[in-house]
Amino acid sequence: MVKAVFALLMVVSFMQAYELNAQMKDFMDSLLTEAKKQNPNLKAFDYARGEKIFTAEQMGKKGNKISCVTCHTADLAKKGLNENTNKVIEPLSPSANPKRFSDAKEVKKWLRRNFKDVYNREGSAQEQGDVVTYIINKK
Amino acid sequence: MKKLVIASLLIAGSLLAESGSSFENRKGVAPATDSLYLKECGSCHFAYQPGLLPSRSWVKTMEKLNDHFGTDASLEPEENKKILKYLVDNSAEKFTNYKRSKKINDSIGKNETPAAITKTGYFIKEHKGIKPKLIEQKEVKSLSNCMACHTKADKGSYSEREINIPNYGKWEDE
Ligand code: HEC
Ligand code: HEC
Ligand code: HEC
Repeated sequence: MVKAVFALLMVVSFMQAYELNAQMKDFMDSLLTEAKKQNPNLKAFDYARGEKIFTAEQMGKKGNKISCVTCHTADLAKKGLNENTNKVIEPLSPSANPKRFSDAKEVKKWLRRNFKDVYNREGSAQEQGDVVTYIINKK
Repeated sequence: MKKLVIASLLIAGSLLAESGSSFENRKGVAPATDSLYLKECGSCHFAYQPGLLPSRSWVKTMEKLNDHFGTDASLEPEENKKILKYLVDNSAEKFTNYKRSKKINDSIGKNETPAAITKTGYFIKEHKGIKPKLIEQKEVKSLSNCMACHTKADKGSYSEREINIPNYGKWEDE
C-alpha cells in the first residue's frame, strides 16, 4: 500500500507541469490563441512535438548541421556553448536556472533569433509553444 | 547678483576641470559601462568596448543586426536606438586620449568602414605574430574572443603583461 502511494506520488510529480509566472502564462496563452487560429484542431501544446523541434538537425547557413542542441546541449540542466563565439551559455532549464522563462520579452527575442539561425525562418506560434513546453518540462 | 556670478563661475570652472581630467591621456580603451549595452551586446560574446571602432562602423553594425556575422542578433527598434547612441557617443574617434582607441582609429582608412575590430590595420599588425594553432585551439577558437587571452579585456585593459594565452602562458615579445 505504502509503495503504491509512493509510486502514485512519483507519477503525479513527474506529470506536474512547470509553473510559469503570470507574464509567461499570458505569453503562452497568446501563443495558443494564435496557434488555434492557424490550426483549429489544435487542443494544446505538445512536449513530443517540441522535443523534435529542439533536437532535429537542419542544414545551417555555413553548410554545417545545426539544431537547438548545438548550443544548448541535450541536457538542459547543463551549461551550453555558443558554437559561433565559444561563449558559455547558462543552463536553459528553468529548474536548473530560475532566471529562465521568467521574462516574456527575453523569451520572445531569443525564440525569434534562434529559430532564424536554425530554421532560417521565424517559428510559428504552435512551434514556439511546443518547444517552450518541451524545454520547461524536460526532466 | 554677485553671488550668482560667483556661483556660475564656480560651475563653469568645475565643468572645465572635469572635461580636462576626463580627456587626459590614458592607456587601453574606456571600459563599457552602459547596463543595456552590457546585457544585449554581451550575451553572445564579450561586450566589445565602443572605443574599439569608429562611429561609422557602429552605425553599419546596428543597421543590420538581423544578419550579424552570420547570426540573428536583432533588437526591438527602441533598444537598437539606445544602444546605437551609446556606441556613437563613445566611439574610437571621440576618445583618442585613450591610446588604443587612437591607434585603431588612425589605422583605418578614410573610406573604410570595418565591421570587425579584428579587420582593422592596427589589430592585424598587433596579432600577426601569434601562431595559428594557439588561435584555433578549442579554448580560443578565434581572435574575436578577446577575453581568452587578454585577462582584463572587460576592464578595457589590453596591456601585454596581462596577456595569458591558453596552453602557452604569458606573452614575451619575440
Ligand atoms: C548559435 C547558438 C544557439 C542556438 C543554435 C540556439 N540558441 Fe537559444 N540561446 C542562445 C543564446 C546565446 C541565448 C542567450 C544567452 C543567455 O541568456 O545566457 C539563448 C537563449 C535562448 C532562450 C531564452 C530563455 C530565457 O528565458 O532566457 C530560449 C527560449 C532559447 N534560447 C531557445 C532556443 C531554441 C528553441 C533553439 C532552436 C530553435 C535555440 N535556442 C538554438 C544561443 C543559441
Ligand atoms: C545572437 C548572438 C549575438 C549578439 C546578440 C551580438 N553579437 Fe556581435 N557577434 C556575434 C557573432 C557570431 C560574431 C562573430 C564572432 C566570431 O567571428 O568569432 C560577432 C562579432 C561581433 C563584432 C566583431 C568582432 C571582431 O571580430 O572584431 C562586433 C564589433 C560585434 N559583434 C558587436 C556586437 C554588438 C554591438 C552587439 C549588440 C548590438 C552584438 N554584437 C550582439 C554574435 C552576436
Ligand atoms: C590568441 C590570443 C589573443 C586574442 C584572442 C586577442 N589577442 Fe590581442 N594580443 C595578443 C597578443 C599575444 C598581443 C601582443 C602582441 C605583441 O605585442 O607582440 C596582443 C596585443 C593586443 C593589443 C596591443 C596591446 C599592446 O600593449 O601593444 C591590443 C589593443 C589587443 N591585443 C586587443 C585585442 C582585442 C580587442 C581582441 C579581441 C577582438 C584581442 N586582442 C584578441 C593576443 C590575443
